[in-house]
Amino acid sequence: MAITIGVEFTAMACPCALRLVGADEAALRDAARRAIAEVRRIEARYSRYRDDSIVSAINARAGSGEPLAVDGETAALLDFAASLHRASGGAFDITSGVLRRAWDFNGQRLPTPGEVDALLPLVGWQQVAWDGTHITLPRAGMQIDFGGFGKEYAADRCAGVLAAAGVDGGFVELGGDICIIGPAADGSPWQLGIRHPRRPGATVGEVALRQGALATSGDYERFIEHGGRRYSHLLDARSGWPVGQWQSVSVVAPTCAAAGAVATLAMLLGAEAEPFLAAQGLSYLAVDIRGGVRHGGSKPPTPPAGGSHAI
Amino acid sequence: MVCAALALPGAAAAAEAPAETEVAFKWLGYQDWQPGLKRVRAESPSLRVAAPVGERWSVVAGATLDSVSGASPRYHSAVSGASRMQDRRHAADVKITRYGDRSSWSVGAAGSSEHDFESRAVSLEGSWSSEDNNRSWHAGLGLTRDRIGSSDDLDLAARRRTTELNAGVTQAWTAVDLLQASLTLADGRGHYSDPYKRLDQRPEARRQRSLMLRWNHHAEAWQATLRSSYRHYRDSFGIRSHTLAAEWVQSLGRRVQLTPSVRAYSQSAAWFYYDPVYSFAGAPYPPGYLTDPPRHLSPDARLAAFGALTLGLKLALRLPEGWSTDFKIEHYEQRGSWRVGGQGSPGLAPLRARFLQFGLARRF
Repeated sequence: MAITIGVEFTAMACPCALRLVGADEAALRDAARRAIAEVRRIEARYSRYRDDSIVSAINARAGSGEPLAVDGETAALLDFAASLHRASGGAFDITSGVLRRAWDFNGQRLPTPGEVDALLPLVGWQQVAWDGTHITLPRAGMQIDFGGFGKEYAADRCAGVLAAAGVDGGFVELGGDICIIGPAADGSPWQLGIRHPRRPGATVGEVALRQGALATSGDYERFIEHGGRRYSHLLDARSGWPVGQWQSVSVVAPTCAAAGAVATLAMLLGAEAEPFLAAQGLSYLAVDIRGGVRHGGSKPPTPPAGGSHAI
Repeated sequence: MVCAALALPGAAAAAEAPAETEVAFKWLGYQDWQPGLKRVRAESPSLRVAAPVGERWSVVAGATLDSVSGASPRYHSAVSGASRMQDRRHAADVKITRYGDRSSWSVGAAGSSEHDFESRAVSLEGSWSSEDNNRSWHAGLGLTRDRIGSSDDLDLAARRRTTELNAGVTQAWTAVDLLQASLTLADGRGHYSDPYKRLDQRPEARRQRSLMLRWNHHAEAWQATLRSSYRHYRDSFGIRSHTLAAEWVQSLGRRVQLTPSVRAYSQSAAWFYYDPVYSFAGAPYPPGYLTDPPRHLSPDARLAAFGALTLGLKLALRLPEGWSTDFKIEHYEQRGSWRVGGQGSPGLAPLRARFLQFGLARRF
């Protein structure tokens, strides 16, 4: 008789949850402990807020000319970042974090074009020397961070730890990014909702999944509202200014890192998003800037029957 | 005469500025389970400092850091969205007390904020005791202002104001018995509906009244104190509840105290509560909703009719150098069928929860 347990915790400054299905509660709790430790390990290694992280070590050497040799895991993440940079024509860029100095989403002030332009020389993955083992940031003040897909990566790793520990079913949710381990105790899929980008507490779509992952990129995470326009935290690295064609894009993919990357790229590609999503062969639900809902793919999330549900 | 175990909140007999400063740290763990799902949540630590300031003043301040907030979604197993930076939930309170010869005055302020709920409160309290210190009165006034809603949806900036008055009297009945009666009245106006539930429209006002009776008895032969209380509550939502609680503070030697406790609770449902029955069609609708919607309705389980029982055990140790530590475990169970004096709400799933609390304090 399979049992289900739920564990809630905080990591990466987000509410996180595990739902685990298995035969033995003690074994599930033990698996959960190991899975949470894995999430914290990734957070410690790649958080730009921690002095002892690899990201901080890389950023500290910016402008010194000193290359840093990185391990296999970091190399894989850098390669992934490089491919996203290519696929988005440079709009997605892990060196764009320095733009935070101009964009203060806690205050409500827009930066001046001058403030943004002053930072653009420090942005550009094409400047970074990356040979697969060594990374060098050529200018002082340049920074990289994995905020764009770190959480999705952690969700995949966490699910991997759980599957390896013998967990039969369940899912990992890290702040809205969901990675499925297997179906529910009775074999049914998990009913997943998609947050409405403008109405807190409501959903705009839902999908039932037995496997795979669901991730969402949206303009409502952090933003400045000015003159009736919303300036979200999703900045096009080429201009330093936010994209604005979609309220949110949610993607179903085999891994959470893939789902999150495709969702973010779609947001950045603006008008090209739908052809791009179709070319990936993945199911998606996208909400355009006026609130219109589009979906595509073989098994897309659909708007809920009977109007949007309250969460 | 009044030893620490007898002391009651509001009793002016305890109206003496504390001689020492105390810093206390608490950690709280929580888990609950309902049929089909067991949830474990790690809560966060809180810190409290109580310090005398001069001979006649004291300051008590506390803060809770990093609590995980967030209701689990009910209809979906999980909801995907752009990651919301979890606003660390902050809660802090401070109270300043001035002690007179047989009276004390306190002024306090408290606030808490989560990403979609903010609360600010101020309070004023006073207590006075008779010449022989056997009787004391206390009275207090509190004002709370809540703001519900988030900055995501600027339309939702619902507010709520509550005014609360309380008054009571404490009497030392014998050398080892303390009795207290207190009355609390609260009047609130504003938004009570839960913004995260679609079919939830509650009245815009809530008047509450409660009466609390306490009896503390020190059993010298046993080296123990009994603390018991009864509380009756009623409000304009139609909820009437009774709480009967007792704990036995048993000293084992000079340094150890073991306290088993029990609390029995029963409440009637709010008049606008309806039983949510989820069906294949989706979110529940109360009967008659589609043809003749009622003005007020709510499926919130906290407004249902149910009974609950809490069993607890606390172990407190006094360590050298002014340190003390305590560990408490509580088991809570709630069921519709346990309601006393009426029918419990049928659609209510039984809930069991366990609370673990660990505390460490230092006086100096």
